[in-house]
Amino acid sequence: MEKLNILVLEDDKLAQKVMSAHLAGHNIELSGDLNTALKKIENGRYDIGFFDLMLGPDDDHSGLKAIAAAAAKGVYCVVVSSSDSDETIDRAYALGASDFYAKGNESSNVADILRKFLQNRKAAGAKDIFSSAFITSDPETKAAASEALKYAPTELPILILGPSGTGKTSLAKILHEHSGREGAFVSINCSAYTEDLLEAEMFGHRKGAFTGAHEARKGRLLEAHKGTLFLDEIGTMSLTMQMKLLKAVEERSFYPLGSEKPEHSEFRIISATLEDPQALIAQGKMRFDLFQRVHGYTINLKPLARRACDIAPLLQHFTKGGRRLSFTPEARVYMENYAWPGNVRELKKFVDLVSGGSQGRVDITAVQKHLKNRDAARPAPAQDGGLYAYALANGLEAALEKVSGEIITRNLRENEGKKTKTMADLKISTRLLYSTLKKLGIEPEGEKK
Amino acid sequence: MTTSPDNGKLLHDLRSKCSSLKSAAELYKDCSAAEKKEMLALMNAAAAEIVKILAQIEKA
Repeated sequence: MEKLNILVLEDDKLAQKVMSAHLAGHNIELSGDLNTALKKIENGRYDIGFFDLMLGPDDDHSGLKAIAAAAAKGVYCVVVSSSDSDETIDRAYALGASDFYAKGNESSNVADILRKFLQNRKAAGAKDIFSSAFITSDPETKAAASEALKYAPTELPILILGPSGTGKTSLAKILHEHSGREGAFVSINCSAYTEDLLEAEMFGHRKGAFTGAHEARKGRLLEAHKGTLFLDEIGTMSLTMQMKLLKAVEERSFYPLGSEKPEHSEFRIISATLEDPQALIAQGKMRFDLFQRVHGYTINLKPLARRACDIAPLLQHFTKGGRRLSFTPEARVYMENYAWPGNVRELKKFVDLVSGGSQGRVDITAVQKHLKNRDAARPAPAQDGGLYAYALANGLEAALEKVSGEIITRNLRENEGKKTKTMADLKISTRLLYSTLKKLGIEPEGEKK
Repeated sequence: MTTSPDNGKLLHDLRSKCSSLKSAAELYKDCSAAEKKEMLALMNAAAAEIVKILAQIEKA
């Protein structure tokens, strides 16, 4: 546990004793009057200050003066006072207090305050995460991940949604690292096992529990004791397994295969799926009660194509320490417009491929060679910020023409140039097809059969 | 019923002492023998203060 420097301004000896007991393990300094506290604040370095407001029989909230002095030095100021009128609370916050608690429930309040303080400190340090462990410059993704990090030190289960390759496992690991949990991060990909194997993998088994069980084996649930159990692709788990998992989550105990002795494990669940859980529930593929147990806080990771601003920093990150590459402007534009159906994982693979090439300067030809599936899984135009910007710059009509052009050319490509098929697929007239092609500067050829 | 300024101060002190006493009582069982002795002395002093405050409130 991180040792904090804490100042307690409290004139009541019994209250001092109570606070000292709740703050045991930290460096605590006690002050019984304002002047001593002000001197300590001036000369010391404190992380947190706990302030009583009425100090002595005829005092008039002199503790407020200490708050102003401490807040000016960056101390996290917490008022713990029986003087909790609206006016006093307003004054305390105006002077720089971060929290205000009425006296009398220190056993839970002090622990909450310390947890919140440490959590805020870690969240402040989380900015570095976005340039190292979870690379993103996208404001929306940063905000979502930062919000999720606030729940890292809690018991709340977290559900991470997002297409394959968007960094769900990386984020789960980061959440575990920020959880303060002493146990391990234990990951299991539910889609990689048959039902029987998944059960043995999760709950463990005794020696001889089934054919091939030559040795007893600890399950992942037990390995995750006091740690985090990351259930990747939870949407692929069978209903029977879901029921068994639910029971283990609710009871915090389970029976390894072939065992009559239950095992106990206190794990926190972080799960991930690329599917829509609500749709899975509607289709009867996911138990509603399990969903309720795993989706305390939900974070949705956007596909890479919808955060094109992340491509350059990711390229830089993946080439760090190795061969540095330079991309021509055309190559960069191509990459920014590419659909990246495999998301960050595909980008990593792409970097490995171009890094192995003969040229350090990568042009559009080299990029196109590896990124052929240019239009696959492009985000819906309505969600594309780039299109919005285009509409603002060129007008709505031009933007609509751009969308029509992209849809028509894509469909033509998919139909290998068969215009009649494209007209049927998109329910458009010959006139619209030809006028669009003309605007795009594409010479209409004879019909391909 | 309104509270006079003096009465308000007494009530504040009463709440403060009672809160400390309650918090100390919650901690008491987990204290070591030496701490229990110290804690008990402080709790007694707080209880005496409470009696005094109650008497003052009665008079006011």
